[in-house]
Parts: sequence; C-alpha cells; structure tokens
Amino acid sequence: MTTTTAHRNTELRLGLLSVGITAFGYVLVQLPDKSDIPADLWFFVSIFVGIYVVAHMAVRQFAPYADPSLLPLAAFLNGIGFVTISRLDPDLARTQVGWMAAGVGAFVATLVAVRRVRTLERFRYSFLLLGLLALLMPLIPGIGKTINGARLWVGIGPINFQPGEAAKVLLVIFFAAYLVDKRELLATGTRRLGRLVLPDPKYLGPLLLCWAVSILVMVQQKDLGSSLLFFAVFGAMLYAATERAAYLIAAFVLFVGGAGIAYNLFDHVRDRVSTWIDPWVVAQGKGFQVVQSWFAFGTGGASGTGFGRGNPQLIPNAPTDFVFSAIGEELGLFGTVAILAAILLFVGSGFRIALQADRPFPKLFAAGLTTIIGVQTFVIIGGVTRVIPLTGITLPFISYGGSSLVANFVILGLLLRISDENAQVRGASRGRRASPGMIA
Amino acid sequence: MNRAIGKVGTAVVALMLVLVGMLTYLQVIHAESLANDPRNVRGALRDINLPRGAIVTADGVVVAQSTRVDDRTEFDFQRSYPNAKLYQQVAGYQSFVLGSSGVERTYNDELVGRGLGIQIRDPLGNILGGEEAVGTVVLSIRDDLQRAAAEALGDQRGSVVAIDPRTGEILAMYSNPTYDQNPLAGHDTEKVNAFYKFLSALPEKPDLARAYRERYPPGSTFKTVTASVALENGIATPGTEFPEVSSIDLPLTDDELDNFGGQVCGGTLAESFRRSCNTTFGTLGLQLGEAFVPGMTRFGFNDVPPIDLVPSGALSTGPKAGSFQDNQPRFALAGIGQGDVAATPLEMCLVAAALANGGVIMEPHVVKEIRDSDGDVVRTIENREWKTAVTPATAAAVASMMVDVVENGTGQAAQIDGVTVAGKTGTAQVGPGVDPHAWFVGFAPAGPGEIPEIAVAVIVENGGSAGSEATGGRIAAPIAAAVLRAYLGR
Repeated sequence: MTTTTAHRNTELRLGLLSVGITAFGYVLVQLPDKSDIPADLWFFVSIFVGIYVVAHMAVRQFAPYADPSLLPLAAFLNGIGFVTISRLDPDLARTQVGWMAAGVGAFVATLVAVRRVRTLERFRYSFLLLGLLALLMPLIPGIGKTINGARLWVGIGPINFQPGEAAKVLLVIFFAAYLVDKRELLATGTRRLGRLVLPDPKYLGPLLLCWAVSILVMVQQKDLGSSLLFFAVFGAMLYAATERAAYLIAAFVLFVGGAGIAYNLFDHVRDRVSTWIDPWVVAQGKGFQVVQSWFAFGTGGASGTGFGRGNPQLIPNAPTDFVFSAIGEELGLFGTVAILAAILLFVGSGFRIALQADRPFPKLFAAGLTTIIGVQTFVIIGGVTRVIPLTGITLPFISYGGSSLVANFVILGLLLRISDENAQVRGASRGRRASPGMIA
Repeated sequence: MNRAIGKVGTAVVALMLVLVGMLTYLQVIHAESLANDPRNVRGALRDINLPRGAIVTADGVVVAQSTRVDDRTEFDFQRSYPNAKLYQQVAGYQSFVLGSSGVERTYNDELVGRGLGIQIRDPLGNILGGEEAVGTVVLSIRDDLQRAAAEALGDQRGSVVAIDPRTGEILAMYSNPTYDQNPLAGHDTEKVNAFYKFLSALPEKPDLARAYRERYPPGSTFKTVTASVALENGIATPGTEFPEVSSIDLPLTDDELDNFGGQVCGGTLAESFRRSCNTTFGTLGLQLGEAFVPGMTRFGFNDVPPIDLVPSGALSTGPKAGSFQDNQPRFALAGIGQGDVAATPLEMCLVAAALANGGVIMEPHVVKEIRDSDGDVVRTIENREWKTAVTPATAAAVASMMVDVVENGTGQAAQIDGVTVAGKTGTAQVGPGVDPHAWFVGFAPAGPGEIPEIAVAVIVENGGSAGSEATGGRIAAPIAAAVLRAYLGR
C-alpha cells in the first residue's frame, strides 16, 4: 500500500466517523419531539454522505498526496453546525444543505482549477483588484443591501451574498504574492527617520491601501469583525514574511488608532464596547444577545443539556453569529472544547502545511489562509463569550451562511492543493517521482 | 520565514487557550449562578408546561394558580394571579419571556412537585403511575392582615411589614404603588415585552419591592437601636441623665444637631426616648463611637436579611467601621437614624422583632409549609435564628421604654384598648424642601409577662397625605395599629 492510498483511506475512515457523529446528533435533536427515528434521516444522511463522498473522490483524483485530516475535520465541524441549525430552524437547515453542496462544489472546482499554486502568484494584481472590488461591492447603490444593520450584502436577483467572504481569500492571495516578492525590501529598509529604519515608502503603498480599505469596511459597512480579521491576518502575514516584529506593532497601532477614531465617531462602535464592558445594565436591551449567550453557556455547564433538550432558540441570531452559544448550551463544555480542539487540529494541520512548503509563496499563502480560520474563530467565539467586544462574523464551517461556507471550502481546497504539492516535491526529492496516476 | 510562522501559530494556539479558559469559567466556575440568574428564563421555561400548584395564604386565599387552556399557543397552562396587586411583590410571576421571580421562583421545585415525593393515588390508595403531583405553597402571610395593611396605607406611597417575632414568619408585606403582574404571564412575547417596557418606565416604580428592597433613612425609629447598643455597651442605663438642651454641637464642624422643632429636650434616657430627643441620641452616637458599628451589625445592618424571595433582600447600612475618627458628626447623625443610616422596612421590622423576642432575630420567610392536593402538609419550612442582637435584659429594657412611647409619648395613635403596645415613631428628614418620611415600628402584646406575637414596621414616604405636616406618630402609627388590631382581633 502506498502512502497515497494510506492517506486517502485514513481520510475516508475519519470522514465516515464525522458523518456518523452528524447522523447520530441529527437523530438526537429530533427525539424529544417525536420519540422515533426521524423519517427524513436516511434522506439527509445520504445527502451528507453523498456530498462528502464527492469531496473525498475529488481529493483522490486531484490532490492524492494531500493531508488526510483537513477534510474530515471540516466535515465534522460542518456536520455539528448543520445539526445545530436543524435543531434551531428546520427551514434554514434545508437551505444550509444547498449551501453545503455549493461549498463542496466550490471545493472541487478549486482543486480542478488550481492545479498549481504558482499560477495564483502570477495574477496577484488581478486578485488585488477583484478583492477590493468585492469589498466595495456592497457600497454600490442598487445591488448593495443592509441586513441586520451591516451593509455587507449584495443582492442579485433572488440570491443575497457577502462578497467580503470572497475578498478575504482574494486579498490573502495578493498579500502572499506581494510580500514574497518585496519581503527583502520591506525587511531591510533604506531610509532613516531618527532611530527608525524605514523601507522605501513606495513598497508600503499597497499595505497602507489595505489598511485604508479595512477602515472603510469598518466605517461604511459597520462590519467590525471583518475589519479586525483583515488587520490580524495581514499583520501576521507581514510579520511572517519579514520576521520583523515592528510590523506587528505597526499593524496593531494602526488598528488601535482606527478603532479609536471609529469609537469616537460612531454610536454602534461605542455600543459594542459599552455592552462588552457591562452588558448587565442593558440586559433587556443592547446587551440582550451577550447576556443570553452567557446564560446559554452557564445553563449548559460541563455536560450540556443534551442535543435538542435546551432552549438555544432564546439566543438571538443563534444559527449564525451565536451558533457556538447554542452548542455550548446543549453540548456543554465537553462539546465546546471538542469543537475548539477540532478547529485547533485544523489550524495545526494548516500551519504544518505552511512549514513543509519549500517555496516562499505557498508557505506564506498557507499561513495566511490558516490564520483566517484561527483568527475568525477567536473573534466570534471571543465575542459571544465576552472575551472581546462582540462583532458579527461567522464561525468557520459551523455557522449558517452560504458565502462563508463557500469561502471556507475554497480555503480548504487551497490548503489541500498546497499540501499535495509539498508531498509531491518531497517524493520527487527522494527520487520517487509520484504521479496521480499511481493511485487510480 | 518558518520561525515567524511558528510564532504566529503559537499565538493562534494561545488565543484558543484563552477561549478554553473563558469557557471553563462560564461553563464550570460561574455556571451555576448563570443558570440560576433570575433573568435567565430557561428554568421557568423548562417548567412552564408542567402542571403547577397554587400559592395560597395562611388563611386559604389563592394568590397564584394554573388553569389548563387551549389558546393555540405551545402552552397548555395559563398562570394567573387573583388579588394580583395585593400579593405581587411576594408571589412574583412566572413568565416564559422574563423568567420568574418571588415565591414562583424560590419555590419553583415545590410548585411543580419536584423532589416532594408526593404520589397520585386512586381512591383505593394505590399509587397511579410514577407521576409526581404538584405541591401547594402555603404562605405565612394572612390575607386579613395583608388587606388591613393595604387599606390603612390607602393611596399613600409606602410599605407595611409584619412578622411573628417568635418564628420569623412574615404575616403581612405590602407596598404601594403596586401593579397587576398577570400580563407578564401571558403567552404572547411581544405583548409581554411591551408591558414590561411600560412597567419599567413608570416613574413611581411599582415593580420595586419597596418593603424589602428599598432603603430609607429610618429616622427616630433607629433610636431603638441606638438605645439598645448604649445599654449593651454599658454607656447608659434607662435612668442616666442627659442635659435639657435644644441643640448640641457637632464636633469638627460649625454645625449643630437640633431637636425636633427646636424644642428643649432631655432628662433620663427613658424620658429622652419617650420625647425622642435628638440631642440625647446624637450624644449617645458620639459616645458609642466605633462600638456603634458592630452594635448595629448585630441588629442586621451591613447585612442582607435571608428572605426566601427572588430578587433577594437589600443591604441596610450605617457608618463605615473605622470612620469615627474622621467623621464624628456622621455618628451623631447615625444616633438619630439619619446621615449614613439607611434601612429597608423589612430590616426595621426585624429590629422591632428582635426587641420583642428577647434579642434574637429569626430568619424572615414568607412561606410556612408545602401541602399536597389532599391538604396534607408534606414539608414545613424550618424556623431558624438569624442573629442575636442584644441580651434579653437589654431587649426588655428597651421594650418597656417603647411601651412608654405608645402610652405617654409620640406613639399614642398606636394604642389599642386592652392590649399593651410597644412602639417608636420616626419622622425621617430626606432633604431640604422634601417632605419627611413617616415611620412607626412596634410590637404587641407587650405587657409584663406577655410574649409578643407580632412585630410591625410602617413607612409612609414623603409624609403621605399629611405632606410637610407629617410625623411618624400622626401618619404611620395608625396604620400599624390597624394591622395589630386585625391580628389581635380587636
């Protein structure tokens, strides 16, 4: 048995485990109402299995040497998310099945279209342009839409989507390529300003452009979460590329400055901060969501109320921003830590892929994509547990939401592509030229 | 680049660990208090569709009950509150939107029959199934006393609390303004929220349980505490002479402490107590100094009475320990129940109860027992001591001075034919240009060799119907007398 087939068989077994957990959870949430096995169980399980089998076969075909843990972890997170959504709102769950299919479609398309990561590197400025366009699309009159107080949406025909989710991936491609190209220049610096050695300002231009865009996102679209995410990811990538902590500090200072200005200018930013500091004084008003979220976690306790036995519908926006609180109520600390562990394994695999890459671009690109998943998890879980002020953003693979799910599956596809290339390079260097044909 | 990526990875792991830490705090360390928070409606929601027992007064009047309904909502039962306005702050409510409060919350398990071991039996005595029957919660409050309190208070703002000093059972607890909590038990989220919003916005705060949650300066009723602590500390006896003056100097300031109406007042401690001389009790406050603080703490100040209601009681306060040296005038003011002294009506009733019960304060509680559907008692609420305020000798000495107040002093409006009543009036200053609060605390029967059965505290905010002319003796004492009369059947 070759490593390839061993990897893929591991992936299959782990994947079946994820599917099994999901099906079991789905039965559990239906039981308190009906006390017999739900009629649509087999229909649902076969769809879920079908989606996963398609994804798995695509990996076998198009990225046979890729890391075997990422896809099963995504399936696990996605499955738990689906069960929780079906428990909160069955109609939403039906739509989510469609989004899952679309996500896996995007995943397969990514594997098929991006045969070499290097291809992406070449079109960096096209991706920058597309990314900025996507970010600014909701501001275009006519197609831009405001939903829940944030102007994040674009509506074309009957379909609403958040182009910001795509912008995330597009801008990380540009950033990785740009930084790999200019990192020497950015790291050494040519100009002196007192005791500071600064790089040539023209190389900083694109970075400042991204900062400006992030601020614009915060101000115009009222989307604090995405703004924070952009800053963290770009700061981390800049640091990774140059290994100079000064950039990290600079990104932090710029973010704090931007946030400080936003705090002084905008009521909604002040509201978020004041409900973070003390939600109890406005427990029936602006602090309602966070207070309900805390109640959900507290009521769940260590072992949870059990799937289908809690009252997570009391939390506003439970299927989207507060999905983790709903899970906390019904699955308890055991469940929440299990999910964090799964995300941590996912992130760990992502960074391992970055470390194993032999060329700078895939290395930085994988690190950037992985940081998106990690930081996004922290921003939303930190928000609903009140570690940081609440900002609306999705929990990767778990929250309801099509744009986010599709974007996450594209990230998954890109990580597997890089992982597959790493393995092929290693195989080649050991003189054992591997080809996808071997596993057919 | 690998080194830096490694560091970024470590940072992300650290962020995740922060989340695990917070989750442990929320789901283990802080979990119980979050799960039981009165604003967390999950507990109420879990039980909202269970059969639920009634809440009845000691004399059998229904205060809360459930009826089976089919209003095309997801709920099978409708909770309702007959006599809502009379019992609102005791019974509380059970709402699927707002959670529950009052007895509905503290005795929730008993109301749904959880853990009571009551089983449904058929007429032959066989146990039917495993189903547990609901419990009926019996209040210690008597409907006749509650009505007497409400009628005597009328539309004046204030509170009446009556307690059996021997057991801590609350016999009456009423505040005005009050409200009808039935809309909160409704099955329409929007209507419930709208009513709650309307209620919380009312300036007169009818949803504030004044009787045990609002603090007022107790004024001269606090002289019962000052006199007790002075006797306990051996600073004075009932016969100790105090000068006949109209005012005393407040140390460290140019201010003076005046007697009521600027009168000349003094004589023995007992005489000063009957005439309610501020100069005498201000002097005692200064003489007690630091010893005043532990003395009033033994009466329940600086503490929350452990009443069996949600929300829980409020803290009654006095001057801070260790502050005498720098704040001597505050201790003179504390001697007459002003300045830093703030007490709930419940706390002042417990002061009276302590003096009625030989110095021992029993834990106040509104529920007496739990019964099953046959009327058999399945659980009795235990009577427990809360604090020992003073020795029996001190309690007896202060009690006899209080009898003198009602027989010959400012509290004559509380006299009842054929019964010896002990009491103390108070007219608490609230601020310049604001009408004072009228107070009365007392108990009966208080004759030699008699064991008092009821202690009462009355406050009428801002002078009630008498406005600036109000005194405790004129406005509050008759209300206390009405409640005592109802209890004694006179």
